[in-house]
Amino acid sequence: MRFFLLLLLISFFGCSSDNGTIKIKGSDTEVNLAVLLAEQYYFENSGLLVSVSGGGSGLGIASLLNGNADIANSSRSIKYSELELFENRKIEIDSFVFAQDAIAFVVSEKSSLDSISTETISKILTGEFQNWSSLTGLNMPITIYGRQSNSGTYDYVKEILKINFSPHAMQMNGNAQIIEALKVDASGFGYVSAGYVLDGNSKGLKILPVYHGGSTAISPLDVEAIASGEYFFQRPLFQYYRKVDYQKIKPFLEFEQSKTGAKIIQQSGYYPVDLR
Amino acid sequence: MNTVKREQIDSLLKFAFKGAGLLTITLLGGIFFMLFANSILFFLNVPPLDFFTGSQWDPENHYSIFPLLVSTFWVALGSMLIAVPLGIFSAAYLSEMAPKKLQIVLKPIIEMLAAIPSVAIGFLGIVLVGPGLAQIFGIQNGLNALNGSILLAVMALPTIVTISEDAINAVPKSHREASLALGANKWETLFKVTIPAAFPGLIAAVMLGLGRALGETMTVLMATGNSAAIPKGFLDSVRTITATIAIEMGEVPYQTTHYYSLFAIAAILFLITLAVNFTGEFFANRLRKFHS
Repeated sequence: MRFFLLLLLISFFGCSSDNGTIKIKGSDTEVNLAVLLAEQYYFENSGLLVSVSGGGSGLGIASLLNGNADIANSSRSIKYSELELFENRKIEIDSFVFAQDAIAFVVSEKSSLDSISTETISKILTGEFQNWSSLTGLNMPITIYGRQSNSGTYDYVKEILKINFSPHAMQMNGNAQIIEALKVDASGFGYVSAGYVLDGNSKGLKILPVYHGGSTAISPLDVEAIASGEYFFQRPLFQYYRKVDYQKIKPFLEFEQSKTGAKIIQQSGYYPVDLR
Repeated sequence: MNTVKREQIDSLLKFAFKGAGLLTITLLGGIFFMLFANSILFFLNVPPLDFFTGSQWDPENHYSIFPLLVSTFWVALGSMLIAVPLGIFSAAYLSEMAPKKLQIVLKPIIEMLAAIPSVAIGFLGIVLVGPGLAQIFGIQNGLNALNGSILLAVMALPTIVTISEDAINAVPKSHREASLALGANKWETLFKVTIPAAFPGLIAAVMLGLGRALGETMTVLMATGNSAAIPKGFLDSVRTITATIAIEMGEVPYQTTHYYSLFAIAAILFLITLAVNFTGEFFANRLRKFHS
């Protein structure tokens, strides 16, 4: 028994000596991308090990606070209440935008809608327009498919349009489920990360180009428009870290900005921050 | 083997078994404590009256469990309306009418339903039951309470069938023989003698099935649409307590009112499920006493 305890203790201490490891935690949206980046990074410089786990943006930020992670991935910007917790413990943090995500508004391919204005999007999402009749002439109720109330995507759409979502909006658990639902529902209107409607995935769906005010309609799949920041619904993906750790994680952050990093980001359906 | 060694083994094993038992109780106590400690922190920020009487679950503005409770209630009620008759009649058929050979084959097959992962059943809800319901009722999509109810009924069936079958089997043969001897036919015997005699056991079966339906998460999360408005019927999208916890726990900022609120609704669900399971156990015990 005593011997066993000793073993256990040793293994605990074994875990804590981690100068050669960067631990990334949080955000289920970004976890696949982070894993790909970490793998490629290790392939190129095997000196520093990067371990990645998901578990939600909230968990990532809490782990950063408790010292269980060096980088917290977050698909939403940090909340004021979370910043307070860091201040209370006198931990200084900084953020790094490692990629961008474009949000696509999607309808069934049976819909006659060809593009949409930000104003109309607001009216649909708040529940002001409850029927397609004023938009496409079809007398059919609008079913909104969105994300759960604390996903980064939900937060972003809510904040940029300055709206409150209709309580009748369906809250789906992830982008893939929204897409599945929209494929079979001709009355659906939904929003997903553009990465989920690339090429093969958009069968049976129509991705609406969006215009704001008098501008021309831009598709969320238009790489150049997003690089120049013209698409209305593009949001940064954050990585938060403790300021004291900057030197340790710097090589990895630099790798994310490199050409290889940018390529991986693009292949995963996101957009690199600095394309020009 | 000498006595000393025997006694040593004896006390060692006693210690091990006691440890295992205590560990289980400690775990339960720990979970209980965590749920309620966090719930208390929640109620320090939000008055209980608002929590139980409000009409909106809109974290950071309104915390009201009411729409979630109504949703949970609709889904569970629907699943029981489907699963109870189906389960009890299957059990009656299995134990009273089916030939022995068929019974040996059928029972394991029904029990196998319990082995299907809930995420697989939820997926069927999205690709099969949902579109089917949309077509039958002429609505745009099938992500609603009825969809959840049908899937939960399938998941609760094995529990209900197994326990009901045990209950019906446990009715002494002399009851049936007496009934048949008095001139009652097979059906009269089943409905007027066997099922009433097995009644406490059937209630236990229903309660344990209900407990299963109340606690199920993944299936309802996938199949019911999760819109936060108070549902008005079976064809409205609902959002159960379990689904709310599952979708919000991942992204919630830790140690905030929203975070504590999830523990508070979990505690309420825990109490409901506990009450249902206790009722089930109570009737199951009565059945045991009745037959011993």
